[in-house]
Amino acid sequence: MQIHVEVNGKRLTWEAHPGESLLSVLRREGFLSVKRGCEEGDCGACTILLDGRSARACLLLSAQVEGRRITTLEGLGNADRLHPLQQAFVDSGAVQCGFCTPGMVLSAKALLDRVPRPDEEQVREALDGNLCRCTGYKKIIEAVLLAAQRMNP
Amino acid sequence: MLPNAKTCFYPRSPAEAFRILKESGPRLLILAGGTTAALSNDPKIEALMDITRLGHDTIEPIGTGFRLGCNVRLQDLAESAALQEFCGGMVAQAAGAVGSRPIRNAATVGGNAVQVFRWSDPPVAWLALNARFEIEGPAGARSLGADEFYARHPRQALDAAELVLGVRLERPEGPHAGAFSKLARTAFDLAIVDVAVLLLGSRESCQGARIAIGATRTLPWRAARAEERLRGQPLTAEALADAARLAREDTQTAGDARTSAEYRLQMVEVMVRRTLQQAADRLR
Repeated sequence: MQIHVEVNGKRLTWEAHPGESLLSVLRREGFLSVKRGCEEGDCGACTILLDGRSARACLLLSAQVEGRRITTLEGLGNADRLHPLQQAFVDSGAVQCGFCTPGMVLSAKALLDRVPRPDEEQVREALDGNLCRCTGYKKIIEAVLLAAQRMNP
Repeated sequence: MLPNAKTCFYPRSPAEAFRILKESGPRLLILAGGTTAALSNDPKIEALMDITRLGHDTIEPIGTGFRLGCNVRLQDLAESAALQEFCGGMVAQAAGAVGSRPIRNAATVGGNAVQVFRWSDPPVAWLALNARFEIEGPAGARSLGADEFYARHPRQALDAAELVLGVRLERPEGPHAGAFSKLARTAFDLAIVDVAVLLLGSRESCQGARIAIGATRTLPWRAARAEERLRGQPLTAEALADAARLAREDTQTAGDARTSAEYRLQMVEVMVRRTLQQAADRLR
């Protein structure tokens, strides 16, 4: 079936199977920042924003996003022009293997859109659905706090 | 992947949804948050119906209680200042105990109530508060109290063309206090034990108790002998410990990948005692 969706500000029409996961469709359509991790809703590597709220692409069927607004990491910045969150991740050393990073950055973005100057507890809560097997989370939390400070001084 | 799903309906009203349900029959899968459906490979499903666009997505204060629309997201319950205050915040806490934020952003009140799993957290709060489920279908509207709704799997309580459109919460009359606790291995693991309690009266004289236990067997249940032990009694440490022991004695459970049956049983007693104590401390 045809699915009409807005991704990163662009209106798109996908030819997709209604019973396949949004994760499969996004990757097929070239949004490769959306990582295929556990595929059962545990790891958070496929985190996207759906109408501004964090969601699991692996736990959504493609049909569910008809008429909705999606943000992926591609919509935040690119290698030449990093989003302040991405820059803060770099500056804080919050990236090691990088597989969890897109999901982390998007969960953090959803938080900062809601709470411009979160405290550490709020950052921890906002990242509760994103697993990182490298960093121990400390530098990721520091990165989000740094970005908040730079974006909303 | 639902390999044989060919189309998806997006009803804008309950009436439209009932018509689609009637015409499509058992090969139609109802989607709310979809967090369970997305993991299904059921080849019998030929069509989907996304019910998140038919309204019923607000938390409304009604009288001294609330009406929660079926499409309210669990995260919205967790963040509701009014629900954080209501009956010890047990609804907000039970909703906030589900999975992680992205899952709570998707999962809905109605979907979670009907698609109940052994480890589902919110149903213990519905049971402790005796919430009423508003059910509607082509033949009209009816409501079921939580005791009846969870007496068997809610799917069996609903006709094929019926939907749960909302949950009603009444504030108990007179002094009362509630509490919720979840025991799990990590912050977002599935529950080993869930407990929600509502106490009426005072610490000197308990006028009634509702003690709901989850994750021990297929459906949440009420520990009737434990409740009876407290009725009309002062809520002393001894009374609470007795009630917790009775709850443990009445628990039927089995081990699974997360825990042995023995550990779960032991923890039912511990968690019931602690949750009762927490609620009792909130009573005057």
